[in-house]
Amino acid sequence: MQLSAVVEQLRKIAGRDAVLDRPEDLMLYEYDAGVRKCTPAAVVFPQNTEQVAEIMRLAKRAEFPLVARGAGTGLSGGAIAPEGGVVVAFARMNRILEVDADNMRAVVQPGVVNQQLSENVAHLGLYFAPDPSSQKACTIGGNVAENSGGPHTLMYGVTVNHVTGLTVVLPSGEVVHFGGKAAESNGYDLTGFLVGSEGTVGIVTEVTVRLLRRPERIATLLGIFETIDDGAKTVSAITAAGITPAALEMLDGWTLRAVEEACHAGYPLDAGAVLLIELDGLAEQVEEQAEAVREVCLQQRAREVRRAKDDNERALLWKGRKNAFAALGRLAPSYYSQDGVVPRTKIPAVLEFIGSVSKKYGLRIGNIFHAGDGNLHPLILFDPRDPHQLELVQAAGAEILEWCVAAGGSITGEHGVGLEKRNLMPLLFTDDDLDVMLSLRNAFNAAGVLNPGKLFPTTRMCRETMGPSSNPVLQSEGM
Amino acid sequence: MSATGLSLDVARELRAVCGEDYARERPAGGVYVSPGSAEEVAAILKLANQHHLSVAPAGGSTEQSAALMRPNILLHLNRLTQVEHYDHADLTVGVGAGTTVAQLNTLVGADRLLFACDPPLPERATVGGILATASHGPLRHGYGALRDFCIGIHFVTGDGRRAKGGGRVVKNVAGYDLMKLLIGSYGTLAVITSASFKLFPAPRQTRTFLAEFATAKEALEFRDRVMRSPLSPMCLELVSPGARKQMRPEVTDDAWVMCLRAAGSDTVLARYRKELGSVITKELEGESESRMWRAVQDYPIPDALKAEATIVGEFPRINLTVPLNKVAQAIEAVNQYAKPGWMGVAMVGRVGVGHLMATNWPDDVETCMHPDMLGEYLRGCLPDLGSLTVDGLANPWCGAPGNEPSLRAVKQALDPNNVLRGRVIF
Repeated sequence: MQLSAVVEQLRKIAGRDAVLDRPEDLMLYEYDAGVRKCTPAAVVFPQNTEQVAEIMRLAKRAEFPLVARGAGTGLSGGAIAPEGGVVVAFARMNRILEVDADNMRAVVQPGVVNQQLSENVAHLGLYFAPDPSSQKACTIGGNVAENSGGPHTLMYGVTVNHVTGLTVVLPSGEVVHFGGKAAESNGYDLTGFLVGSEGTVGIVTEVTVRLLRRPERIATLLGIFETIDDGAKTVSAITAAGITPAALEMLDGWTLRAVEEACHAGYPLDAGAVLLIELDGLAEQVEEQAEAVREVCLQQRAREVRRAKDDNERALLWKGRKNAFAALGRLAPSYYSQDGVVPRTKIPAVLEFIGSVSKKYGLRIGNIFHAGDGNLHPLILFDPRDPHQLELVQAAGAEILEWCVAAGGSITGEHGVGLEKRNLMPLLFTDDDLDVMLSLRNAFNAAGVLNPGKLFPTTRMCRETMGPSSNPVLQSEGM
Repeated sequence: MSATGLSLDVARELRAVCGEDYARERPAGGVYVSPGSAEEVAAILKLANQHHLSVAPAGGSTEQSAALMRPNILLHLNRLTQVEHYDHADLTVGVGAGTTVAQLNTLVGADRLLFACDPPLPERATVGGILATASHGPLRHGYGALRDFCIGIHFVTGDGRRAKGGGRVVKNVAGYDLMKLLIGSYGTLAVITSASFKLFPAPRQTRTFLAEFATAKEALEFRDRVMRSPLSPMCLELVSPGARKQMRPEVTDDAWVMCLRAAGSDTVLARYRKELGSVITKELEGESESRMWRAVQDYPIPDALKAEATIVGEFPRINLTVPLNKVAQAIEAVNQYAKPGWMGVAMVGRVGVGHLMATNWPDDVETCMHPDMLGEYLRGCLPDLGSLTVDGLANPWCGAPGNEPSLRAVKQALDPNNVLRGRVIF
């Protein structure tokens, strides 16, 4: 089928104004928050599940690949279209379908923005716990695809711990419902399996999420340390004291100075590192824990421990943390962020290693991360106009991830594998591990219509069908 | 073929894999094997595929009695008890599938950590078994389910591939979440050989508050009040009058009891007392508190029978989950199903997560526990029914679980020759 015919069909399904195919429009959909790019052949904006199913059936018939996209805030290239692929964008499926306060559930369309869901249920004393730093923009559908985390996942878990049901359009075009409002359901846990499958198994069109009750009290502490090593050692000292904070974040001195200049969050300019520690729950318990955390920090040679006096101060401290990536963006034309994980006792050692990688490659690397669960975010600054720099940056990133894996960790804690880390998968997984995952993908998506080329390494796998992306017609039209 | 239904060649091959001492014929037919490593498990499954034999994995026989299972190969995981990794400061542990929950508790308890799954009969229940059956106990309320804190899993697929999902760290999204797929799959996709878990700091002090109510409805109103309050108890369990009488034969009244367990300092516990108010009739601590929770955890197995391997079928338990506001309806439906007018059905439930366990059926238990009838009846009364399982049944999900083509696709991907057919699920 010609591209023009595909576009016409898509318009018939979703409406005349629901398809983009002009190059200047498509440019907006060629990237996410990572470093890869590819212009899609077209973008379609379905308004309901049935339209998604029709689009899927069309893709199967006309043999072009599909990729679902939320807000494009992903960091691993998960929503980047393959050559000749069509983006299914969820901007028009952004309704909260039901808030069921009795059962502490909400049913939402995938295009609902993460933070809007929490704002929408705030009057009921409820909220949605996963809170990626991009929560002002990122969508629940994207969170489901990537199994996103955030600072507060230390205590409350990642997206999969907060999803109990899904409506899914399978690559066959069939619409299925997995799970529901109950905490558990019969059969294999396909809800759990779908979350984090990076759009390679099905397209989610409705999500039933768990809502939590807002805590009675929140204490936000800022532990200020002279050296990054003291800060790092404090992380496991806090958990060793029997305390699980709601969030436990770390910023190194260099990063916090950049953040302070950009956001005026109230961070000290001369510190070696800070820990941002949040405790929440019953008032009495929070007060006791706040005191205990303060003591641990001081024992670990904190210079000072401050506590946010009110919601404003608290919001400011978090603003600094959540806008840190953007703040560092002021220092260089671009940055490359990773999210390797180490066992939390290895944090001091991995920070030392990152320092040596920075020296070796002559690259500036800032550290700002979810310290409580060992989830790093080394931010490597570079200039993308210099192709040599990008190569160096990727090599430095790969070295850091190799170190994480050797220390018993992982290549990604919350960003997903996508395009970016697919060829690092063999660091973690054997051929048999990957083969088992691939046989599961192929059980649903054998032809590779959905998000081909993601998650699985291109270097070793011979069984992955790369999808019908080699469709000569779509390519001959310059797509 | 020998009398066991297996050719002498196969029996010899199995002995060659596991060693003479760990592969023997079962009087009832078939071969019992107890492999010493994941490699041996893979070799056994490959053999089974080659010779078209059925394999059933078994752990502590607390959900299903191994003695009653009739596969060609009964694969007992009891020798896989290795500790694969444990660093108390990381709050993670990885152990072999044959490790019992009690052994795991002893290991991590020494460092004042908690493995937050407390299934029935922890001295016998194994890590592989509780994962395969998605088992849980009273801690489910405050700490979540195994799917929330199992962070890695090693297994051998039905077709003999040794593989893993997840890893050893608490946050990890690399690759498909195979833990979710295998938890609750009843050994029909793969044989779990080891698993890693996130641990929690053990509470330094706890108290249990009991509140008695004349009806289930009032007890559930209390649950709602607790759940709307700022309190976050470790456990919140409903015990029906029938269950209470079995646990404490001296009791004569018909109260529904809500049991709330809280952790924290004296100040925190004082706040619980204040919030809960005069509805609390009793407060337990120390030995009596532990005894009470152990009785709930193991219910309905009587102490005298806890070591027996074949008791499960004698105390058939159904477990179900519904949305929170449907628990009252579920209690009613279970009572109605048992026999209109028969109020002897005993129930215990993690009602804060919508769970209910029912047992103590009338004498015509055979009819009562017919899985299709039970499934059809309860699904008819409870359109929002989440899970429904009956211990020990060949079809633990009581009839078709829904989404059959998708489930079959998964089964086909991991066990194409249907070697793992101990449980008939489709």
